[in-house]
Amino acid sequence: MFSVLFCALIFSALAVSADQLLLRNAIVHTVSGATLNPGDVLIENGKIKEVSTHITTEGKSIDLKGQHLYPGMIALDTSIGLTELAGVRATQDEREVGDFVPDVKSWVAVNPDSELLPVTRANGVTHVAPAPQGSIVAGQSGLIVLDGWTSEQMAYKKPIALHVYWPNMELDLTPKDKVRDKSKWKSPEDQAKERTNKLKALDDFFQDARAYILARDVAKTNASVDPGRNPSWEAMRPYVRAELPIFVHADDSRAIKAAVKWAETNKFKIVIAGGRDSWMTADLLAKKNIPVIWEHTYQQPAHDYESYDSHYAAPGILHKAGVNVIFSLGGSTFIASLIKNLPYEAAQAVAFGLPEDEAIKGITLYPAQVSGVADKLGSIEPGKDATLFACDGNGILDLRANVHHVWIAGKEMSLESRHTRLYNKYKNRP
Amino acid sequence: MISLRKIAIALALLTAICAHATTELLAPGFRPVPNDAHALVGATVFVKPGQIISNATVVLRAGKIEKVGANIAVPPDARVWNLKGMNIYAGFIDPYLTFSATGSPDSGSKKDRNDLTAGVKFFGVPGAERDPGNPGPGSELPAITPERRMAKTFAPEAKSLESLRELGFTTANVVPEKNIIRGTSVFVALGETDPNRAIIRSDVMQNVGFEEGFKEDTYPESLMGVVAAVRQTFFDAQHALVAPNENPREFNPALEALAPAVKKQMRVAFEPRSALMVDRAARVAREIGLDFCIVSSGQEWRRPDLAKAAAVPFIVPLNFPEVPKLPDDDDWTQVSLDQLRAWDWAPENPALLRKQNLEVALTTFGLEDKKAFRKNLKLALQRGLTESDALAALTTVPAKLCGLDKEVGTIETGKLANLTIVNGKGYFEPESKVQSVWIDGRFYRTDFEEPKPESKDDHTASSGEKKEEATKPSPAPPKVVEPEKQPAPEPTEAEKVAAKKPKKSAEAKAETSDKDKAKDKKAEPPKPRVARSPLDGRGALTAPTLVIITNATIWTCGSQGILTNASIAISNDKIQGVNSPVTFHGKATFIDGTGLHVTPGLIDCHSHSMILGDVNEGTIPSTAMVRIGDVVNSETANIYEQLGGGLTACNLLHGSANPIGGQNCVIKLRDGASPEGLKFAAAPQGIKFALGENVKQSNWGEKYKTRFPQTRMGVETFIANRFIAAQRYLKEWEHYEALATADYPRSNKPLQLPSAPRRDLELEAIGEILQGKRLIHCHSYRQDEILMLLRLMQGFGVQIATFQHVLEGYKIAEEIAAGKVGGSTFADWWAYKFEVYDAIPYNGSLMHDRGVVVSFNSDSSDLARHLNLEAAKAVKYGGTSEVEALKFVTLNPAKQLRIDKYVGSLEPGKDADFVIWNKNPLDSSSLCLQTWIDGKKYFDRDQSKARFAALETERQALIEKAKKSGKADSAKDSSAEAKKKFFEVSLEHRYDGKIRHCEEDEQ
Repeated sequence: MFSVLFCALIFSALAVSADQLLLRNAIVHTVSGATLNPGDVLIENGKIKEVSTHITTEGKSIDLKGQHLYPGMIALDTSIGLTELAGVRATQDEREVGDFVPDVKSWVAVNPDSELLPVTRANGVTHVAPAPQGSIVAGQSGLIVLDGWTSEQMAYKKPIALHVYWPNMELDLTPKDKVRDKSKWKSPEDQAKERTNKLKALDDFFQDARAYILARDVAKTNASVDPGRNPSWEAMRPYVRAELPIFVHADDSRAIKAAVKWAETNKFKIVIAGGRDSWMTADLLAKKNIPVIWEHTYQQPAHDYESYDSHYAAPGILHKAGVNVIFSLGGSTFIASLIKNLPYEAAQAVAFGLPEDEAIKGITLYPAQVSGVADKLGSIEPGKDATLFACDGNGILDLRANVHHVWIAGKEMSLESRHTRLYNKYKNRP
Repeated sequence: MISLRKIAIALALLTAICAHATTELLAPGFRPVPNDAHALVGATVFVKPGQIISNATVVLRAGKIEKVGANIAVPPDARVWNLKGMNIYAGFIDPYLTFSATGSPDSGSKKDRNDLTAGVKFFGVPGAERDPGNPGPGSELPAITPERRMAKTFAPEAKSLESLRELGFTTANVVPEKNIIRGTSVFVALGETDPNRAIIRSDVMQNVGFEEGFKEDTYPESLMGVVAAVRQTFFDAQHALVAPNENPREFNPALEALAPAVKKQMRVAFEPRSALMVDRAARVAREIGLDFCIVSSGQEWRRPDLAKAAAVPFIVPLNFPEVPKLPDDDDWTQVSLDQLRAWDWAPENPALLRKQNLEVALTTFGLEDKKAFRKNLKLALQRGLTESDALAALTTVPAKLCGLDKEVGTIETGKLANLTIVNGKGYFEPESKVQSVWIDGRFYRTDFEEPKPESKDDHTASSGEKKEEATKPSPAPPKVVEPEKQPAPEPTEAEKVAAKKPKKSAEAKAETSDKDKAKDKKAEPPKPRVARSPLDGRGALTAPTLVIITNATIWTCGSQGILTNASIAISNDKIQGVNSPVTFHGKATFIDGTGLHVTPGLIDCHSHSMILGDVNEGTIPSTAMVRIGDVVNSETANIYEQLGGGLTACNLLHGSANPIGGQNCVIKLRDGASPEGLKFAAAPQGIKFALGENVKQSNWGEKYKTRFPQTRMGVETFIANRFIAAQRYLKEWEHYEALATADYPRSNKPLQLPSAPRRDLELEAIGEILQGKRLIHCHSYRQDEILMLLRLMQGFGVQIATFQHVLEGYKIAEEIAAGKVGGSTFADWWAYKFEVYDAIPYNGSLMHDRGVVVSFNSDSSDLARHLNLEAAKAVKYGGTSEVEALKFVTLNPAKQLRIDKYVGSLEPGKDADFVIWNKNPLDSSSLCLQTWIDGKKYFDRDQSKARFAALETERQALIEKAKKSGKADSAKDSSAEAKKKFFEVSLEHRYDGKIRHCEEDEQ
């Protein structure tokens, strides 16, 4: 068994090392630097070796004249991989029970053969971060690469973040006589109390985690105080110590403000996910250097006093204030099959004021940064993974553009999917 | 219960002075009954609105008004009441008092019924037994109880009558609560607890309330279902009149009870419960031919035009919201502008209704705490209701409404001796007190306390602090003394303190309590309204007679294709020419189209965005009688948001909860227009059908396993059944009409023509499909079900207009094309449930390639904001050309809806519905700059900034006002109820900001 694995490793290493591929004549959106038009990218051993206006090589090369070359897109905060058909319960693996389950890990439950994955990849999305849904501390997400035979092979980085669903701070102000179940009605005052209690419970959980970790550290030299290994508290270690980010899911402006304050007090590293009202607190988020995973492009304004385009314009407002905006379609299982449309969320923001290069960063470099993989993904730079895609037209923000090549770590991916199979089958129906 | 009643009667006898014609001789032990002649002298008498006599005398005898005037001799046998300084009004009338308000439980509703999801015989649906759980005959719908009579159950409690008398009310029209067609009201005197004596007239009005969600899973659950049920029931009542000997014979007390109403012998009070439904209530009532009035929802300020058009009297509650305290200052972010407006507008609504030339009657209806009535009346007066109108609203108008204007409403000879006596400056000054009321010539003391001569501060004398003392029921029959001569009782501790208050030093005053502040506020002049009308800034922005756009790229979606550097001329509401010489006299508006793109207005073939209330009437498998046209929501924010994406027309569809859904309604997005004004008049009628998982309740939960159909097999069986039933229905009518219109020879003329068949709204609608007058738009996914319906309808000679969604349409594109059915699909939605696992984004292109007329629809209030980008997906997937792709959201949906004669392309003679874009609209970074409908501009991106800035300013001002007045209110004895009302979300805006789709509310 061991020797077989060993041989396989050597074999694959040899195969890759022999691999060199030159992508020529493309419009190279390096993201981190200037766009080269035209430009060449040399791939070697699955990594980007060189990026330049002109590279010569003896090896294999592909002419990408007229095509745009981008780093693979990264979709954070999604349920893809954990769901197949939102309406079929048996296919749901995205939501656990319990308010405090930090040791729930998304990457162990990704279905490598989900029909949703090839569809997503075929439009240039190469990495996704399936996130546990739930309430309060719902678990951890990992970054999944959309290539691999097993869920193990696909777990690109694990974990990347802890998911905290900020307690709802919106009051249910429905008058009692309008509520169906009158016994469940609570006065605004009671709800406010409950709200405070929930925030305290959340904070307590983190303080308890901190205490546990301290005790464990002390126990290294003094075994008598060891509280014993507890997987829940262990899972909290990198987040309490701000080594990894906490993705705080918060939409309401009150929740966002409260989360920012909480993070500041505790010196936690947070990212706001969802962020419906984040544009209202853009300056605060900029000041605290907190990025936003913006998930509301295609949702109508939440308040009747907002402009008709408030959610289209929000990323532009956030950027102007100095906030890094990452685009996502959100964790709803109903949207998991449409992660391929990630670039169009960004494109809509461009129409309403976000600079185009920021929009591209919001689907490549920024998500790579908050996932802690910016050394390997997110831009076209020497040393990074050769995870790229090429499309025609006016570039990936243009809906009409088609993706013609996707490479993950230098390997060209098939663009076939359930969609293309059915299309080809029925296109040829006699 | 019985003993309570006895006590109540005894109490009434004790506290009241009976004054019957020949005075009754009671048994020893009871207080003897006094004479029935009274002379009320020295007061200011409001004979009727606008007629005031000061220092007048009113003579009462035998329960009637004998005389009224300034110089009237006091009859020698009359007891004299010196009412100097008092004001006498005709006794006030509450035209819409609910039973619960008089303290008695409303026991009128029928027993709960078993689950009726398997259908009701009423609609010809096989399934449940008729009337399961219903103990007697009547309508098969539990919410239809016109036979319920309030006269049968009226049994008030003394306490609740007292509280009404305290407000000056002497009579009331007691109406049934709950249910849809609710039953008849009873007109009562508020003096007696003995119902036999109290009732003045029974069965005064029939009552209808547009109450949605009456009972879960029981037809009608949705608002549109309610309207359909009301119409059908009244039609049935009409039918019962002309065809009493139906076979099989039927005894139906519900229809019998409606006979006076349909014969216009009984007025019907409609409670529409929202501003928009006022219009629907009026239209339904007129269609049936009813004599009716409307109960105000307090929301008519949203659309005064609709109230005005109703042109019938309004019964107006005075239940205004009050500003509540919010736990946190930040919590104001979740208070909507609309809630603030509703709060600020509420007190002005009565005056606004008067300004529409409507007769207004006031009611305590809706006030849990009746005491708020006079406080709120004052607010209404401050906002423009005149005292004369207010008096009419309490007397003459309700009297007339209830058909009792000969008996009550004014102080005139012969009328019932019902009077309301108020001290001080009169009723409309809340500080003044109702001293007493007279009902049927009997005196009823209220908790009125004579002002103490030693106290100079009126404020203190009438402050609420003494209430406890004052409300103690007097154990003995009241001693009637002249007010001036009444000895002042010893002041209580509270009074002593209160009396001292004004003498407090200036120092003490500096630290005024909130209470004092509130008092000061009261003295302040009323704060003017800050809220604007929701109609402000809506409607056409400009409506030039001639518009010429030059140098633009024009996507004609017609034979001219895409023209660059082209011009288009719009004359009034039509397109005059594209790239053709323009003739015009006078002024023209020129738009430089350099760099801009002009397209036809986008059309959404599948929308639920402007529907009031539920999208589904999913309770029974066929709801063909239900009409979206009854519940078009002209006020939702969705209209403007979608205009902002270039949408100009959409097909409002019923949801997909049942195989045969409701009737559709095609509208144009003329923001600001009324529901009727939105309708696309020339669009043919249609209906929603649905197949697959939704209609067989696959994802509704375990509870839903009994309604037919549960399988795709059953769906076919069910639809076939309804079409055969409709064929028979049509035949029945044909037969009747042939007999009715036949030219009989004189000798052969039958003695009696057969009566017309019963009008069945469900079968009528399905019949119209068979007659080619109604288009089918069928929600569908799988290829087998699509083919099933196609063949089934072909068997009935019916041409289906569109398959909606039709996500497996690509598998049978040839068959769909051959059947000439349109395909209205999603651009790329898939894999959200099992039946859409095979959906592919190439569907549109593939069907298009095989000759199907294809459109992309939204089925979502969000997607409808960017249908141009959906169209672009047809370019990406399957390579449809850009020219053709744009037609997926313009000309093709117009064709599918059979409105392509008018809209869908930019061609001479068509409606001037167009959009101006900053670049190619299929480019994902394009922007809609302007949207025009009928040659009028309804959206302009440049102007939208100012529009929303104005909203923001208004909101800030309102919040400021609300916070201030909230502080003041918290000091007053304000009601918790009024504060809860503040948070009510109006029906018109309930779904704003939410994605509406066809599966909504199914589960």
